[in-house]
Amino acid sequence: MTLFHFFNCAILTFGPHAVYYSATPLSEYDTLGTSIKAAVVYLATALVKLVCLATFLKVSESDSFDPYQECLKALIGFIDVAGLYFALTQLTHRNISQNHKFQAVGLGWAFADSVLHRLAPLWVGARGLEFTWDYILQGLEANANLVLSISLAALGSLMWLRKNKPRTLIPIIYLCAGIVATMPSITSYMRRGLGWHLPKVVGFELFTSLAMALISWQLFAACQRPSA
Amino acid sequence: MIMAPRKAREREMLVESMYSVIALLFVLVTCVELCDGATVVDVYRLIQYDMAGVPFGSRLASLNHHAASLHFSPHADLSRTVLMIPLRELNMSFVKEYIVERKPLGGLLFLLPQMFNLENKGGMRINHQDDGKEPLKDVLAELEQTLIHSNVPTCTLLQYPVYFAFENDNIHAVLTDIKKNDATGQPATATTGGYKFVVSAPEPKKVVSPTITNIQGWLAGQKTDDDASQLPTIAIVASYDTFGAAPALSVGSDSSGSGVVALLEVARLFSLLYSNPKTRGHYNLLFGLTSGGPYNYNGTRKWLRSFDQRLRESIDYAICLNGIGSWENDLWIHVSKPPENAYIKQIFEDFSSVAEELGFKVNLKHKKINISNPRVAWEHEQFSRLRVTAATLSEHSTAPELLERTGGLVDSRHFVNEAAVVRSVKLIAESLARHIYRHQGKNIQVFADNSSLEVNPSYIQSWLDVLSQTPRVAPFMLKDDPFVMALKKELEDHTDEVNLQRDVLDGMFTFYDSTRAMLNVYQVASVTFDLLLLLVLGSYLIVLFSFLVITTRGLDDLISLFRRPPSRKVKTA
Repeated sequence: MTLFHFFNCAILTFGPHAVYYSATPLSEYDTLGTSIKAAVVYLATALVKLVCLATFLKVSESDSFDPYQECLKALIGFIDVAGLYFALTQLTHRNISQNHKFQAVGLGWAFADSVLHRLAPLWVGARGLEFTWDYILQGLEANANLVLSISLAALGSLMWLRKNKPRTLIPIIYLCAGIVATMPSITSYMRRGLGWHLPKVVGFELFTSLAMALISWQLFAACQRPSA
Repeated sequence: MIMAPRKAREREMLVESMYSVIALLFVLVTCVELCDGATVVDVYRLIQYDMAGVPFGSRLASLNHHAASLHFSPHADLSRTVLMIPLRELNMSFVKEYIVERKPLGGLLFLLPQMFNLENKGGMRINHQDDGKEPLKDVLAELEQTLIHSNVPTCTLLQYPVYFAFENDNIHAVLTDIKKNDATGQPATATTGGYKFVVSAPEPKKVVSPTITNIQGWLAGQKTDDDASQLPTIAIVASYDTFGAAPALSVGSDSSGSGVVALLEVARLFSLLYSNPKTRGHYNLLFGLTSGGPYNYNGTRKWLRSFDQRLRESIDYAICLNGIGSWENDLWIHVSKPPENAYIKQIFEDFSSVAEELGFKVNLKHKKINISNPRVAWEHEQFSRLRVTAATLSEHSTAPELLERTGGLVDSRHFVNEAAVVRSVKLIAESLARHIYRHQGKNIQVFADNSSLEVNPSYIQSWLDVLSQTPRVAPFMLKDDPFVMALKKELEDHTDEVNLQRDVLDGMFTFYDSTRAMLNVYQVASVTFDLLLLLVLGSYLIVLFSFLVITTRGLDDLISLFRRPPSRKVKTA
């Protein structure tokens, strides 16, 4: 019975990634290699991030919100963006269109994130006898994260790969990318600075991820038009 | 050319990180069993013992069932349910129905109010006067007796685990939830969710050859030069061990506890007198802390038999102390010899005259002993059986049944009054002093208040507190139990010579271990909930899939996906 619950939570956490891959043209163009490469880059980035966090951050005994520390953390969080830049520009891919490239990279990125951050707690927690909503919420969070990663990858590909984009849109693109990249810090602030509970935070994350996805989609479409 | 090494490096990195992740996973998996309890409660198991081969008490220790409260629906099958019963809501008809008639249950968990908690020291004197504690005490006493041994001919053999726990906020929250669940009419089973109680305990094992330890202290009297014969001896005896429904909670503050405290204080007072040759009496004093009290004073018997003939004959009389911590105006002296006996008369006169001066009454009660009956109700009867004059000082007027009033759950510190113990000590010490120094009939207070020989209330209180926190069921005590060592050391401070006597507890009782455990309370989801969740998640993924296909490839693709799967390949090619 508890294995059943674990299975449910695993479906919620990792299912959307698989569905996204199989439902979109990604599967038709066989972009799995790109996704795996992106995942590897994510792992390397996570390692670098850990080293940075361990070097520059003090271990706080209390669970309180320290603005200075959080700023530092947000700065370190931008290593993610560097990793994504590397994944999008430096990695050689087979001849896939930009359109599919960012999706594959974003998908691999989000999947690696889910596996690294959520699989172990899920295995440990959801198989226990005790029932909590936490793991279901965590699964929803993974969904929001998938959407955010793909949005960030889309914005990244607009920033770094597309040369002839409309001038007026550039600040908006950078602003959106900035917002999406600082999302983890924002949620962390809500959880600890404002003391929000997990359901509220997850709801916020889902809402913002959908909003950001919609905005980046529109931006992407807007950049697509003149070139087309 | 540059590509190849970079790829190799990447692969290496991947392998390395995978190793660390796998190692981390293993560490976490090993942690799983340790840290997954939601609420952990200390629980104390009902005693399990055999008496003359007949099994009594609860026979199981491990528990893994859903929980229900007393508001369960009347037709529910409770054979796989743990009933959680606060003592305040317990009615004896339920006990009669389920325990005496042995209806099937998954388990029982009794919640005791905090005032019975042996670790609860701070609060007890504050709410000493609260009402409603007496009924609770009576209910608990009746429950305990029912659980230990039933009055009906068939013995109570419970084929499910029975545990006791103390009420606290966590368990109250759980109970409220369970009640709410029960009120909706759905008993918690595997299909409706609720709480699950898990105690993982090994099968209870027999305690092999339980030992009892008697402690004996000797305070030698002053020999007069002209008298060559042996000095007479006065023995003061108290049994220190207990027996109760939950061995780990049987602290027996009154029964056995108050007697031990009084004995220690009397020993202390006389050690002060005997340390000075001028005030040393012409009597030897023998202090005995005996074990095995609940089992027909088995330890007392062993102790007496170990005496040599001369010592036994030198004992003038023995005073046994039993339950002198919660009386108001009357104390009882229980004797086995007829009251006309000269020694008995002497003892009674000593005691009653002192009691009169102290402002209360001492009554004499005579109960003949039947040698053929193995039951020994009072400790002095073991002396009487060996023709030693003895009496028991007690607040109870009637003799207890076997395993009754042996310091079980009810007998907590909450119900013991230090002032009563102090008065008892005064009575005992003063009457002994009158006998020893032949002051009978004279109104001399040896242990007057505000003198150097004053009875020390703080000494009594601190020892009472220690005793009220130490479970003392003899079979579950260690061989060199720290408590026994503490008693020995205390007696060593007050007497000349202290001996320990270890022996095996005699025959007809067999005890089983595992007296305390940890109860894990889990909030569990039902199977139907999980099924429903699966359904919701499945439809979510299907909707997501359809949405993605429609937005990225168009509706026609989605339809064609279902209509002609092989056509896709043709299309992409």
